[in-house]
Amino acid sequence: MTFEMAAGNAAHTVSVTRKGALLHVAIGGRTLVVDARRVGDMTLSLLVAPEGAAALVQSVDVSLAAQRAAGDFDVHVAGRTIPVQVRQAGGFGRQKTAGAAVGAGPQRIVAPMPGKIVRVLVAAGDAVKARQGLVVVEAMKMENELRAARDGRVREVSVREGQSVDAGAMLLVVE
Amino acid sequence: MKKILIANRGEIAVRVIRACRDMGIGTVAVYSECDRAALHVRLADEAWPVGPSAPRESYLRIDAIIDAAKRSGADAVHPGYGFLAENEDFAAACRDAGLIFIGPSPEAITLMGSKTAARQAAIKAGVPVVPGTEEPLSEQTPDADVLKVAEGIGYPLMLKAVAGGGGKGMRMVSSPAELPAALRAARSEAQSAFGDGAVYLERRILAPRHIEVQLLGDHHGTVLPFVERECSIQRRHQKVVEESPSLAVSPALRRQMTSAAAAVARTVGYTNAGTIEFLLDSDGSFYFLEMNTRLQVEHPVTEMVTGVDLVQWQIRIARGERLDLDPESLLVPRAHAVECRIYAEDPENGFLPSPGRIQGLRVPQGPGVRDDSGAYEGGEVPIFYDPMISKLITWGENRDHALARMKRALAEYEVRGIRTTIPFFQWILDDDDFKAGRFDTTFIDRKLGAPGSGPLQVIDASHEELAMVAAAVHLFTRSAAAAPAAAPVSVWKQTGRAEALR
Repeated sequence: MTFEMAAGNAAHTVSVTRKGALLHVAIGGRTLVVDARRVGDMTLSLLVAPEGAAALVQSVDVSLAAQRAAGDFDVHVAGRTIPVQVRQAGGFGRQKTAGAAVGAGPQRIVAPMPGKIVRVLVAAGDAVKARQGLVVVEAMKMENELRAARDGRVREVSVREGQSVDAGAMLLVVE
Repeated sequence: MKKILIANRGEIAVRVIRACRDMGIGTVAVYSECDRAALHVRLADEAWPVGPSAPRESYLRIDAIIDAAKRSGADAVHPGYGFLAENEDFAAACRDAGLIFIGPSPEAITLMGSKTAARQAAIKAGVPVVPGTEEPLSEQTPDADVLKVAEGIGYPLMLKAVAGGGGKGMRMVSSPAELPAALRAARSEAQSAFGDGAVYLERRILAPRHIEVQLLGDHHGTVLPFVERECSIQRRHQKVVEESPSLAVSPALRRQMTSAAAAVARTVGYTNAGTIEFLLDSDGSFYFLEMNTRLQVEHPVTEMVTGVDLVQWQIRIARGERLDLDPESLLVPRAHAVECRIYAEDPENGFLPSPGRIQGLRVPQGPGVRDDSGAYEGGEVPIFYDPMISKLITWGENRDHALARMKRALAEYEVRGIRTTIPFFQWILDDDDFKAGRFDTTFIDRKLGAPGSGPLQVIDASHEELAMVAAAVHLFTRSAAAAPAAAPVSVWKQTGRAEALR
């Protein structure tokens, strides 16, 4: 079984095959031998060693949490939380192109979490500077000011003060 | 006292329920709509609904809470911290309803809750205060007048909500140009958090430490101070790491500060638990900042170094018992304790709130670890309230020992499904200045804002590789186990079968 994966700056094709009681995991041009025991729905105990090593000694306790986007996980390992994306073959190539296009085009300001619009600081047609405050969202008892990422002009404002918004709701567009 | 209603939610409601249970006292939880299955509801003997999820419609509803107390037959009310804990109308309503309010008198809350009146009380007790306005500036005070007052105090200054607490409604102002915007934000935040938009101004002491003294006062005239807490590690004026004792406080300074704190409390006839906050300047001079007329979030560090159960003493004092603790022993810390406040916030993404379902939870255990939490696996972190989900406390024979245990405990702590501030604390614990105790209240904001400061988590290629191996093994073994199963079969059985076939 083969996956395309990315974590941080690294991207790898990862293949898993069963060899008797053990798993062989090919990653980054080498093969790791893994003894995997599932100890919970999303928790595994792994003993890991490079192929050819005398014994499996590195003990790795890992847990996963599925994230909102399909194929995205937070992997908890060695006291760290590492976001990992899993895609079909070729999936990352398409995504990268899309990401670059968004970076150059209009900037869509979306609600990072469910909350209430406390203040709208700009109107459609206003010129804005980078880091200028655009809208203030109150969530979890704190007011969070969302700012422009770069200089531009407000194309549209989709919310009004006092309105409740869901996570991901489009608030305004700067171009 | 046979039954106590806890007018709060989250970890502090759980903490109070535990103290009640230790004493054989019955417990009544109250809950809002979204908290029906919250941990405090599950642990209490009884639970009464008090309204919709928005705090104003439930946990801040004095009438609904008093009604629940009466109908449940509770004879006392513990307010926790936040919500109605420092609301004199609530304390008075309890008294009027024949309920014992486990906290100070409504008069003491009114007096010390007004930051300007509290300053006057400190002056009367002979304790130095930070230069600032003696009268509150109401919401109607025009900006021009506030600017004039600010001129007299000098910049930089702190703008604070008169009814404030927990960093809400507080702003630092470095120049007159920043004042109008800061004023607008502070008033609006104060209005929404406390229902009172009045503010006051105070000179900002540059690079101070925030040191506070826990007090208990009984109804027989005894006020006892405890060894100090060091609370300088703050982000946006909100404490995030606390410890006791402070490296900056010598035994001689401890005598001075604890005596000053007790003097302020005695001046106002204070009873039950309270905390006097001081700013400690680098030259050793200290200033009264404010008094918190309630149990503090960070009370466990004091409990860990003195062995005193503060919540139990709140209850004992409220039922009229004498405070017969040995005063000297409260000033000599046994060992060292440190606390990290675990928030449902994503530290790698500007500390944005990260509410949601906790898919998995592994709580640290072992020597020297205490976790005061309101979270459980499968539980929800709602969007309506403060995003703190747990307080992790460790203690050790000395500061290094306590910090080593904290580092170990944080590495064991897994909260899956939402993001938390755990990586942020791991980053602080690795900082040389923090480890050496070289810090003041600007420490976090300075370090986070430092040019070239990268992500908080140090993740090298081997961790990334392990994470990918883990994800691949997870997907592979899950699909291998799931493939032959047509009917729903437990994962345990599937795994067992898969292993038997090998």
